[in-house]
Amino acid sequence: MARALHDTLGQLGYDKLLEKTVSALPDAKDRLAYVANLTEQAACRVLNATDVAAPLVDDIENGALALGKRWDKLFANELGVEEFKALAEETRAFLNEQLPQKTRGTHAQLTEIMMAQDFQDLTGQVIKKIVVLAQDLESGLMNVLIEVLPETKRTDEVASLMNGPVINAEGRTDVVVNQEQVDDLLDSLGF
Amino acid sequence: MAADPKMRFLVVDDFSTMRRIVRNLLKELGYTNVDEAEDGAIALQKLQAGGFEFVVTDWNMPNMDGLTLLQTIRSTPNLKHLPVLMITAEAKKENIIAAAQAGASGYIVKPFTAGTLSEKLNKIFEKMGLA
Repeated sequence: MARALHDTLGQLGYDKLLEKTVSALPDAKDRLAYVANLTEQAACRVLNATDVAAPLVDDIENGALALGKRWDKLFANELGVEEFKALAEETRAFLNEQLPQKTRGTHAQLTEIMMAQDFQDLTGQVIKKIVVLAQDLESGLMNVLIEVLPETKRTDEVASLMNGPVINAEGRTDVVVNQEQVDDLLDSLGF
Repeated sequence: MAADPKMRFLVVDDFSTMRRIVRNLLKELGYTNVDEAEDGAIALQKLQAGGFEFVVTDWNMPNMDGLTLLQTIRSTPNLKHLPVLMITAEAKKENIIAAAQAGASGYIVKPFTAGTLSEKLNKIFEKMGLA
């Protein structure tokens, strides 16, 4: 029976198709590993940023509450003149220096969190390619099973200028791996 | 930054996350007048309606890709002066050369940093005589 299946596949030309699809699987594994890697990096970046930002926000809250309590005392007539002067000075320093410094620090971490989301664009493109492969595999197997249709029209490969992110640049000379290489190439061409 | 903070940007990318990131980065740099398009075809419609002064575009998009958008802009008399900055994951030398030959004002490869975007924008503004 295996022999019969083999012969049938050969006659229908599906052996080549299946061979091609199976050979695409290692590439798919690399792509999925790339997705896992990028998403892990993004998660780490976000967690690091929140670790840095949380104490800044806590400091702001604690500082404000401590000053507020002393102002409450003033309003309850429980503060002497010297204490009031000190409170006014500390409040001014808090508003002019400590608070803006800590909000700027927090804002920088918010930017870091935002930038960590850039993986979604890259992983989305990679996953889309895997989905196409899965569809090819599915339709290939389906056709073998029903053994009727002539070779199905395969989804056209994306144009050679639309390949998405480079998963593995090792040993390749036709791709750049960072912005510096982009700039160097453009410079060398006089752009 | 000496370029007009009211300068109107069009950010073209099929991923909303990336559009949001670019929009936020532009805001950090002082540019808050930003509109978005999810592919080249929609971008072209918006550009034809007028009022845009800067285009930031992805390459690989459905309907109309970024290179075709760039080529169309460069061959349309009332749009051809627009600066077009490409931000793309396409990292083949062939791509970079094709973009430059088509008249791209800049090319940023993903993943990129806030610093890179700022640097490339300033470089383009310098060339335009705005900075």
